[in-house]
Amino acid sequence: MSIIIRIPGSLKEWLDNQEEAVCQGNTIQECFNYLENNFPGFCDRIIDDKGEMSNVLIFLNGENIRNMEGLDTKVNPDDEIGIIPLAAGG
Amino acid sequence: MIIDDPSSHFIFIYHPFVLMGKKYTVYQGRELTNGEVLKYWGKWIVLGNKDWLDDLAKKLDPYVEEKKIPCIKYDRNPSSNLGTTECVFMVYCDRRDRDNVWRILSRMGVKLKAWVTEKETMEMWMPGKPLMERWMKSQGFDEPTRDMIRKDAETRIGKIFDNPDMIFTGWEQ
Repeated sequence: MSIIIRIPGSLKEWLDNQEEAVCQGNTIQECFNYLENNFPGFCDRIIDDKGEMSNVLIFLNGENIRNMEGLDTKVNPDDEIGIIPLAAGG
Repeated sequence: MIIDDPSSHFIFIYHPFVLMGKKYTVYQGRELTNGEVLKYWGKWIVLGNKDWLDDLAKKLDPYVEEKKIPCIKYDRNPSSNLGTTECVFMVYCDRRDRDNVWRILSRMGVKLKAWVTEKETMEMWMPGKPLMERWMKSQGFDEPTRDMIRKDAETRIGKIFDNPDMIFTGWEQ
C-alpha cells in the first residue's frame, strides 16, 4: 500500500532532493525500511546511535508518533508521514 | 495585524484585541486554564524560507482578524543555534479547532502536516531536555549559569503544570 512521506526543504537531500516520496509498509518502521532501500542512509538520519529519534519529530497524518506507538505505529493506505527537525517543534 | 518589530526574533500575527490586553488562548469565548492549555493548546508547524512565510503571513492575517486563527508566530531568521536552517512558522489554535485551521493552511499550499502541542514544547524546554540544553550550549554559558537557567525554567514551567485551574498567562522560552 502506498504511503506518502513529506519532509521540509531543508531535509530534502534525505530523499534525493525531493520533498516527498511514496513508500510502502504496514508500520512507520517498515515505511522507513522501504525508504532506506531507495535512499541509503535515510534511517541513520532518523534514528541515532542510541536507537532514539533525538533530532526529529515524526508525524502520522499530523499526529506526533511519540503519542501513538512510535515506529511501531500502524499505517493505512494514503496515510501521510511528516518529518521535521526537533528544534522546529519548539 | 502583523507585528514586525525588527528588534524581536519573532514576527507575530495577533488580533488587535491582544494589544488591548485580551488573551488569545481562548476557546468559544472563554480563557483557557493552565490545565486546558496543556490538554488542548498547540500549533501547526510550517517550515520555509522567509519570503514565502512573509507571503503566507499576509494571506493568513485576515483569518486572524476574523478570529478563525488565534495567533501566529514565526522566525525572522532560522534558529541556527538550535539546528534549524529554515524559518519556523507556528499557527496556534485549540486542538478542537485544529482541523478547521488545517483546512485554511492546506488551501494556502501547506502540505506537511505537523501538530505540536504546547505541552510537548514546554517539555522540550525543561531542564535536561534537548532544546534547553542545546540552546544553553550554543550560548556558551558556564555551568553555574546553566544551573540557574535550569532552576528558573523548572519554576516557571512547573507553575503551569502545578496550577491546572489557574487561567493561563503565557510562558517564555
